[in-house]
Amino acid sequence: MELDSLKYVWHSLEVGSDQSAGSEAEIIALLHKRSRGPIAKMRRNLLGEIILVLATYIPTILFYLLDFEGRLSGIAWLLGLLMAVLAAYYYRKDRLLKEMQCVSCQVKSNLKLQVRTLKKYIRFYILSGTLMIPVMAILSYLLIRWKYPPPPGAALFYQVSGIAWWQSPLFWIGLLAPLTIGIYYVNVWYVNKLYGRHIKKLQELLEEMEGE
Amino acid sequence: MLLLLKPFYLQEPAAQEEFVKLVQEHRAMLYKVCRLYCFSEQDRQDLFQEIIIQLWKSYPRFRGESKFSTWLYRIALNTAISDLRKQKHRITPLDPDHLPTQIQDIQYSKEQEEQLQQLYAAINQLTEVEKALVMLYLEDRSYDEMEEILGINQNNLRVKMNRIKEKLRKITKKETAYGIGQP
Repeated sequence: MELDSLKYVWHSLEVGSDQSAGSEAEIIALLHKRSRGPIAKMRRNLLGEIILVLATYIPTILFYLLDFEGRLSGIAWLLGLLMAVLAAYYYRKDRLLKEMQCVSCQVKSNLKLQVRTLKKYIRFYILSGTLMIPVMAILSYLLIRWKYPPPPGAALFYQVSGIAWWQSPLFWIGLLAPLTIGIYYVNVWYVNKLYGRHIKKLQELLEEMEGE
Repeated sequence: MLLLLKPFYLQEPAAQEEFVKLVQEHRAMLYKVCRLYCFSEQDRQDLFQEIIIQLWKSYPRFRGESKFSTWLYRIALNTAISDLRKQKHRITPLDPDHLPTQIQDIQYSKEQEEQLQQLYAAINQLTEVEKALVMLYLEDRSYDEMEEILGINQNNLRVKMNRIKEKLRKITKKETAYGIGQP
């Protein structure tokens, strides 16, 4: 079979097009449908996460701010801070997803863009996912110390009076370091499970396009 | 409320009308892309829908710097190639009951029908990039335009095209030897 000899048969496919499919009304109906592409799905999942966070955090923040005569407002501040960190996190993720594809660009440059941005997205995912807990733990510690300063001589979070100044941070580092390392590996495994196959396939396609 | 969130241009009925007309003019090409990249009718419909959505989203940014068909090929192929979802209804590529509807509708000579079946069976064994090249080649696109669509330089395109032709020859030879693809 020679490819050139099939051009005639290939072109004749246009003649017998099914009139019902791709009619004007059908195309107009398609314009109002949601994209089911992988990036659109990722953006929808992100929006779902944002809505869930807002729906959980806002009532909780208001509760701690307004109830208990404001005595537990420190917790509200803490949650507010966490929400601000999450907002920055979601904003960055959304920006990366928006940049992830350029369907009207050349196929090769679009693949390059996807691989590059997806790698950036994965790095950000791992980095933020790993640092989120230790950073929040440190910020919470500082905020609680600021809002609820311990009376002189009182113990707070294992900070027994009379111990050297460096022992308390060392204890926390000793606790957070293995936890952070564990979270890092869990994140790497999870990201690989989510995007590993996808990025591998994209890279293979790109290599094929670039290779002679 | 949702309408307010759409870009102003997309709300204009004239723009929509113009877009639909252009898509209808080129729909045969879109069907062919869907057919090349999907095995089942359901998957083809899904891909067709996705391509139309991507075209519509990108339409306000189309400024006529390239030919409309070039722009259309880029979006269709980018969507088909990057859309790496699992095919829901994978079938054996040589099943005559699952030949594309349009092919079934057209009366071909026995020889043409055999060739077409062989072509689709062989193309199904190519990679996504190779399928794009074959599609553009069969559509009589020049190497200039192929480069503009795919972003692969012309020398490389020629080398790849020769390799694909050879690969197709080998595939069909093997299939003919085993009697696959014969009605």
